[in-house]
Amino acid sequence: MAREVGRVEITMEALFARLAADFGDGLGDLRVQEPDTLVAAVERGALHALAERLKAHELGYETLNFIAAVDHGRHLEAVYHLYSWHTNTWLELHVEVPRGKAELDTVTDVWPGADWHEREAWDMMGIRFKGHPDLRRILLKDDFIGHPLRKDYVDRAENHPHV
Amino acid sequence: MFDQFATAEPDEAMKLAIRRVEETTAAGKGSYLEGLELNEVIVNMGPQHPSTHGVLRLVVTLDGELVRDVIPVIGYLHRCKEKLAEKRTYFQYIPIVDRTEYVASMNCEWAYVLAVEKLAGIVPTRRAEFIRVITGELMRIASHQVAVGTFVADLSPLGTAMVFYCFNDRERILDLLEEVSGARMMFNYFRFGGVRYDLPDGWVEKCRALMKDMPKLIDQYESLVNDNAIFLQRTMGKGVITQQDVADYGITGPNARASGIDLDLRRSRPYSVYPELDFKVCTGEHGDVLDRYQVRIDEMRQSVRIVEQALDMLPRGPVQIGSLRPPYVIQPPPGSCYVGQENPRGEYGVYVVSDGSRYPYRLKYRDPCFCNLQIFGKLLPGNKIADAVAISGSIDLVLGGIDR
Amino acid sequence: MLPDRLKQYPKLSDFSQPNVITTTADLVFAWARSRSVFPFTYGLACCAIEMLSSGFARFDVARYGMEVFRPTPRQCDLMIVAGTLNEKMAPVLKRLYDQMSEPKWVVSMGACATSGGPFYDGYNVVNGVDKVVPVDVYIPGCPPRPEALFQGLLELQKVIRQYKFVPELPEPAKPAERS
Repeated sequence: MAREVGRVEITMEALFARLAADFGDGLGDLRVQEPDTLVAAVERGALHALAERLKAHELGYETLNFIAAVDHGRHLEAVYHLYSWHTNTWLELHVEVPRGKAELDTVTDVWPGADWHEREAWDMMGIRFKGHPDLRRILLKDDFIGHPLRKDYVDRAENHPHV
Repeated sequence: MFDQFATAEPDEAMKLAIRRVEETTAAGKGSYLEGLELNEVIVNMGPQHPSTHGVLRLVVTLDGELVRDVIPVIGYLHRCKEKLAEKRTYFQYIPIVDRTEYVASMNCEWAYVLAVEKLAGIVPTRRAEFIRVITGELMRIASHQVAVGTFVADLSPLGTAMVFYCFNDRERILDLLEEVSGARMMFNYFRFGGVRYDLPDGWVEKCRALMKDMPKLIDQYESLVNDNAIFLQRTMGKGVITQQDVADYGITGPNARASGIDLDLRRSRPYSVYPELDFKVCTGEHGDVLDRYQVRIDEMRQSVRIVEQALDMLPRGPVQIGSLRPPYVIQPPPGSCYVGQENPRGEYGVYVVSDGSRYPYRLKYRDPCFCNLQIFGKLLPGNKIADAVAISGSIDLVLGGIDR
Repeated sequence: MLPDRLKQYPKLSDFSQPNVITTTADLVFAWARSRSVFPFTYGLACCAIEMLSSGFARFDVARYGMEVFRPTPRQCDLMIVAGTLNEKMAPVLKRLYDQMSEPKWVVSMGACATSGGPFYDGYNVVNGVDKVVPVDVYIPGCPPRPEALFQGLLELQKVIRQYKFVPELPEPAKPAERS
């Protein structure tokens, strides 16, 4: 039996209202973007609790699509892109992370698929995820020094033994 | 205990495997045979593989032939694409996107071009949209031919007929795509607002002729393996991906559809002119290896249908917005945008962050194989090593996308 | 004069000269070696797909005697490095090259293996395979067409034909100085 997505017919305005009502405290600056995405900003400390509530919600977000780590100069940002099967819509959460103490709570207990995305964010941008079962480098070699996607990354000779 | 296997210092992945084996042995859950504690062997499969999946390394803990634990190690093809995006203009970056999922490069370019067009507010021409659909679906057929052919080749020694048939017919599709774009594999064909070249004279007739032949060729592939008792024994019931796994790990594409989920981005979040085209979303029932193979074969047939419809509906007109020259320098307004698109392997998308300059500020790929590969740690243990090869072939990985 | 037992072969009876060819061992072994090469598919990236295409029915690499692609380096004498090499993979490449037995040749297929290709300024990319292993033939292209690969392999056959069967003998040791 093929299970369909988007069985709950809901307009973006209604969904916006629903999420604002249910999660108004957690989702700051909620707005609708293009046809089917909602964008919101989330506090660092409130991320894990909000993730659990979002997944357990009736119009829940069961899937984590990706975690993008962006370097905005003065702070880093983690963008969580979630997908809801019930409503066939996306939700984008922007979490600001200070540069000096780049730490976030892991969401691997909520979405197991976050495992490798968080490892990649650590590898590339240096955002540490507390509680991650196995936080080590994924794409670069184990003794690579530095986090390349940071804007202040400078190429080092130790990372390039074969020149 | 493990000294005889390592000539060099074990790296992080091997150390993790060794730790896990020591933990299970200490907990009394190791391998035992009539009270004898057995040594589990930690073996590296890769990064140099006889199969075409690329440079994937699987650190496999074996108990005889049975796989107890698998740790995938990637990064052997990491080509710094996301960092290179910051040094190339949007236009210069199109050939680099090609080389992500190199088996299905048209679809990769499409995803990147869609994201930047949405950010910059460019609407492509109608004829270009139909040409994009035609070339994208032709690429989907070619990509599935590689996937199915190499999967069947993995099951048996490389002297199988199936992969020869698949690659030979793929050459006919690549001939068509070469006439249109000038290259066999990395096309560099899509542009912001359209495509680079118009279809040459006589191309539509050749394409129609090939699409007329295609169903017979696909029937031929099925006739080679579908009734083979050994093939069925090796693929039925193996490597089952449950619907909960699909939700947890973000698995998309034929792997998700084979588990019975009607998730196709061409239907659920349609882009381009797909709302006007009529096609069926192919799903399977059990989510095992056989279903994933069958879904890909069925999708090839649906792609033929889409191409035929698009050829019939192809309008006249320009293939690029503006004058003959494509926009070489575009500066999208500051903002971010993600468009997910149905690649033959799943949902492939590009998350573009722009700061208003000619260079992207940050480009992040959402790669389907990266998400699909996470399930290996759960899927492979408990199977024999030969089944592990069959399962990993059916997931259809392309390391260019995983490692970027 | 043919012995009786060979008279059943009509063509043989046309020989009037003795069937002896005089040549060098180098020529015979080079001729055999160059036409029966066992490539080692070191397909890393996109060029690997073109290498596969050249092995299959449309572009047939078997006509050059090189269709026996072995996945293990110990049974091969030609390593075709097809794709980008990066810092994580470089030790693996060196190790596999060392596992091949002499005589061995390396063909660097594609722009990435030759010089880093379109990714030359990546932080993790090795600009060319020849920084790790010695290369005999470079094939440009991104990816090179199968015909280009064949041209490279024909050039490689020329290189193989120059390989000496008996390498130059080392100089005899000088006698010790008498005190």
